[in-house]
Amino acid sequence: MASGIFIVPILLLYGGVNLHAAIGASLISVIACSCGSAAPFLKERLTNIRLAIVLEVATTIGALTGVLLSGIIPNLYLFVLFAVILLASAWQMLMRRCDPLPELKKTNRWKALGSQYPDRTSGRDMPYEIDRLGMGMAFMYGAGLISALLGIGSGVLKIPAMDTALRLPIKVSSATSNFMIGVTAAASAAVYFARGDIAAMIAGPVALGSVVGAALGARILMRVSNEKLRILFVIVLVSLAVQMLLSAFGINLVQGGG
Amino acid sequence: MKSATALPRSLEIWLAHLLGYGTWIGCALIAAGLVMSSVDAASSRFILAGVGFFIALPVTRVAAMLAYFLSIGDKRFGAVAALVLAIICAGIFIGLEF
Repeated sequence: MASGIFIVPILLLYGGVNLHAAIGASLISVIACSCGSAAPFLKERLTNIRLAIVLEVATTIGALTGVLLSGIIPNLYLFVLFAVILLASAWQMLMRRCDPLPELKKTNRWKALGSQYPDRTSGRDMPYEIDRLGMGMAFMYGAGLISALLGIGSGVLKIPAMDTALRLPIKVSSATSNFMIGVTAAASAAVYFARGDIAAMIAGPVALGSVVGAALGARILMRVSNEKLRILFVIVLVSLAVQMLLSAFGINLVQGGG
Repeated sequence: MKSATALPRSLEIWLAHLLGYGTWIGCALIAAGLVMSSVDAASSRFILAGVGFFIALPVTRVAAMLAYFLSIGDKRFGAVAALVLAIICAGIFIGLEF
């Protein structure tokens, strides 16, 4: 679960930062966290690099669509869309993900994208193939679009794309999705940065804080039971969604600092 | 069609180093800017450089993959990596125009 989805609501609701500055800052954090956590996944051979670069075609085009739309869509709709994404993430958190059954067909159009990953339980390399690439690409386009519009990593769309459409093993899907998020966010952040729309004095400290926070958090989270963590995340996601909906209509429960 | 079961380990290790050390450099730039902000007005340039560095890091990763695929003669995936780079560059151009 990426932290990106929390940054925009926290900056908006508690930091008194405006929507576009919050989105810019969040995108930089998303990039920093993606880069900062990529190394162990790569070294463990969980990241499917070839699949990532193919899917990045769809996510980057999606991101550019998002950038172009961001100037047109009124803030009210962005707040509401954000609330919907938060609720969808909470729903996804409640649903359990399970590994799709390995299905190796004799003829697979996307054989070059299949790979294998080290399975800890059996101690062997498990081969896997890619299914329904077209549907996966469509989801990824949507993920890139939402990422650029809202400044998030769009895990909420990447998880169904990778689990349901592409039928990837969960570990490969998490590693590959994390790897791709950096490029997807960079595609939109580069445009915002070039336009001078990213407030470095907000984005810099937030990115630094989230890299340090992610490193510390991973250690603390190992000691907390998964079940408790899931419930905590669901409560936080739902309460942020409610606050985003309220502030979409001008009702602020918490007075921002700025 | 060639079955690419696993890439040589070198690319994965290379990318892991690029992204891992890159994150350290980006964080160090921002941290240096924050530390200096109490004494020096120009410190914001360090923070701006750190932010720009983070945006460039994944793009450099795609460029590294392009170089790698071309070096092993894999034109198909080289073309895909080139396409991703082209989309990002086109985005900056279009984004500045509109």
